[in-house]
Amino acid sequence: MLEIRELKKTYASGVQALRGIDLKVSAGVFGLLGPNGAGKTTLMKILATLLEPDSGEVAVGGVDFIKRKPAARRMLGYLPQEFGLYPTLTAEQTLAYFARLKGVREAAERARLIDALLERVNLSQARRQAVGGFSGGMRQRLGIAQALIGHPRLIIVDEPTAGLDPEERNRFHNLLSEIASEETVVLLSTHIVSDVSTLCGMMAIIRRGEIIAFCTPQAALAELAHVVWETIVAREEVAAIRARAQVISTQLYEGRVRVRVFSRDGQPGAGFSPAAPTLEDYYLNLVSNTEHVH
Amino acid sequence: MSSRSLAPFIAVFQNELRFNLKRVAPYALMLIFSANAWLWWSKGPAVSRGWAVNSDFYIVWLFCGFSFMTMPLFIALMMGDPVIRDFRLGIDPLIFSKPVSRAEYLLGKFCGNFLVLSCCQFCFALTVLLLQGFSTRGMVVLSPRLLPYVQHFLFFIVITSLALGALCFTVGTLTRNVKLVYGFVLFSYFLYIAWQKTIKGWPLRWRLALDPLLFNTVAEGWQGRSADWLNQLSMGYDGAMILNRVLMCCVALLCLSVLYFRFRKSASEESKTGPQLQTLGLTTQAEWLDRGTESPSRAPRAETASTIRTKLPRVTLVTEGLRACAEQFVAALGVEFRLLRAERSLIVVAPLVLLMCILELAAFRLVPEGSYSATYASRTAEGLLLFLFGIAVFYAGETMHRDRETRIEPLLWSTPAPNFVLLLSKLAATLLLSCSLVTLAFVMAVCVQLAQGHWPLEISIYLKTCIVILLPSVIFMIAASVSLNVLLRDKYLAYAVSLALGGTVYYLSGLGLNSWLYNPVLHRLWTPADLTGGGNLTRILVHRLYCLALSTLLVALALLFHERGSNKEFRAQGRLSERGWSALFALASVLIALVTGFVVMRAG
Repeated sequence: MLEIRELKKTYASGVQALRGIDLKVSAGVFGLLGPNGAGKTTLMKILATLLEPDSGEVAVGGVDFIKRKPAARRMLGYLPQEFGLYPTLTAEQTLAYFARLKGVREAAERARLIDALLERVNLSQARRQAVGGFSGGMRQRLGIAQALIGHPRLIIVDEPTAGLDPEERNRFHNLLSEIASEETVVLLSTHIVSDVSTLCGMMAIIRRGEIIAFCTPQAALAELAHVVWETIVAREEVAAIRARAQVISTQLYEGRVRVRVFSRDGQPGAGFSPAAPTLEDYYLNLVSNTEHVH
Repeated sequence: MSSRSLAPFIAVFQNELRFNLKRVAPYALMLIFSANAWLWWSKGPAVSRGWAVNSDFYIVWLFCGFSFMTMPLFIALMMGDPVIRDFRLGIDPLIFSKPVSRAEYLLGKFCGNFLVLSCCQFCFALTVLLLQGFSTRGMVVLSPRLLPYVQHFLFFIVITSLALGALCFTVGTLTRNVKLVYGFVLFSYFLYIAWQKTIKGWPLRWRLALDPLLFNTVAEGWQGRSADWLNQLSMGYDGAMILNRVLMCCVALLCLSVLYFRFRKSASEESKTGPQLQTLGLTTQAEWLDRGTESPSRAPRAETASTIRTKLPRVTLVTEGLRACAEQFVAALGVEFRLLRAERSLIVVAPLVLLMCILELAAFRLVPEGSYSATYASRTAEGLLLFLFGIAVFYAGETMHRDRETRIEPLLWSTPAPNFVLLLSKLAATLLLSCSLVTLAFVMAVCVQLAQGHWPLEISIYLKTCIVILLPSVIFMIAASVSLNVLLRDKYLAYAVSLALGGTVYYLSGLGLNSWLYNPVLHRLWTPADLTGGGNLTRILVHRLYCLALSTLLVALALLFHERGSNKEFRAQGRLSERGWSALFALASVLIALVTGFVVMRAG
């Protein structure tokens, strides 16, 4: 169980990145959605013991992540949003290095672990290839492999599928689903809504350093039942619709514009038909409003 | 040229100025140059020789000395990487997809950075100009002057910088490797000295015309003249000097022309930044440019059930205890040393070390001091000191910042390896590299001694020189460099400060101000006789302890101020925390340094 209490962080420039985050996350994949600058990466860095919060508590399985960093790092696997690797080392050498830093001392044990990790992320054939020659997807897979060393209790993945092609993204989804277990919390920070709807049992939305939603994707969709409407209009009509209705999103469609709106009071105008809500509707509606949902 | 066509040039030029205004390096350079000027004003030869500190002669002397000793490395710092920076930051596709020509881009970059460099250098001239309003006891000061400072600054410093700056800019831009620029500049010192020796017997006019730094202006022709005569001398520029300056301008023009014709806008194939693909996501996601080269990767194997469900074996994690830390340290050291060995600049440095050895020992007639082995060992050690200083500054700096530059730092810092493992492995790797080069040099020295037939060969003397003289000096220099990089957090600033400190010690020791306390590397404080039973050996041994104590203190400070967050308390769970141990080591090393320092000074 990951417990976060009243976590706050303000940078020296005065930017208040986190304004008191409270979260209780049990084992499984947990999605953290939010726009750019919401505080997701700051939160991830604090959980990964790379940043000191101003106040608050973080604990995983009873271990205080703020006061007992060495113990925390033993339980942690971290895949940041942007990361690099030593280009001259091979995949095998890279994993061996991280395994030794993680504390896997026995050479035979380490070799078995590396074999299994490379197999798991489909990099066995490239094990002796220098990392500098890897594609983006291969680097990302090697990144998740190093995060899996030592059966961590908390795995933090920050925007893991940004930049991956659909095949790689699908592979990644499968991997994340498999590694989440009864003992492991996988914290997935992203602004790709479809990743959360595919993978996560629970999710939270963070905006301007505060949690503005904490629910299951199903509950989020249920919240929007019968309140999402859709129409397709000419471009010139969009402004008028914006003036009278709460627009969730607009999308070009065959030369016209598909407009989705939020309306609790029934049909917002002629030409609108009820639409099945998506998690993206929920997210876009929430981040553009001050309405909080728990 | 119309104003429209000048617009891209002006934009690049202005951007360079703006960028440099926000950097620390130019301000650090201004400070260093001003301090340099003050040092030479207060501790230079003017007072002892009766030269007026604001005479034409002394102004030219100062500026020529500045051109030789201080400028080259800092020119490399400012002019080596303006274009490399754009490729490193990944902004090159955004710039080159705009209608800006090669000439506009390169000229804008060069001129912008050169202007900043000149402003920094002007601080040297400005400081000596202002200091003419002050005087110390015995100092001769003529009536205040302005024009000679400006005139000689432009003639002796700016034009020399133009040529050297163009060279550094060209080398850096074409090779996309700033280390090669530094290597080139370091090598140029040897080249210049060799060139001076070559033209030594030539007529003065030729020497003036072909001296890139115009050092011969003050080195020749004024010896034997009285101080009064020199103080009244008005330094004009004769035909040879003007020809020299024209030649320097031509060198600059040639370099920039070569650069213009050979510059390619595509990223280097060996760019260290891996491919950064950002594909279209949903409407909420930004669309980025596809950049970098996609290296051909093996097609991923089709996923099978066995791939997906490969179970990861349970492993035992041991991260506490001395053995676990030793294991982590050995792993980190292995990787750090492997990465250091892969540095391309070693291809230049290692042969240079051997060449230096051969030149020092074989090219000049050696007069044995005590014994041939002692002479060979001491000459090798003295010659190696500059290289080892360079390795400590540049390679230690590279290892300290490599993790951040390759962006592997978050992955490493989230492992349970303690700070001292990550830090000491870098120090040890650099030390290992230095020791490898020292071994190479000493083996070469032994070979040269044998080849010259200078018997007897005393291996113990070589070992003593290595272990007693060189090794603690190397440890100190690397510890100091590591510590500066941690405390200053900026690689180039650490370079500048290290070079300034090293240069100051070197300069003061050259003036005879050579205290054992602020010369931890023992430069010019020992002779070969000390190693063959001379009276100073005990003092040297105590001094080495002093040096090691200082090194420990520096490393302890680096650990205390390390950026990676660790527990703030000095105790954790009833035991000393890592921070506590660092503080304890710092305290202990201060005590040892005080005691040994006191003993060293008393022995003198």
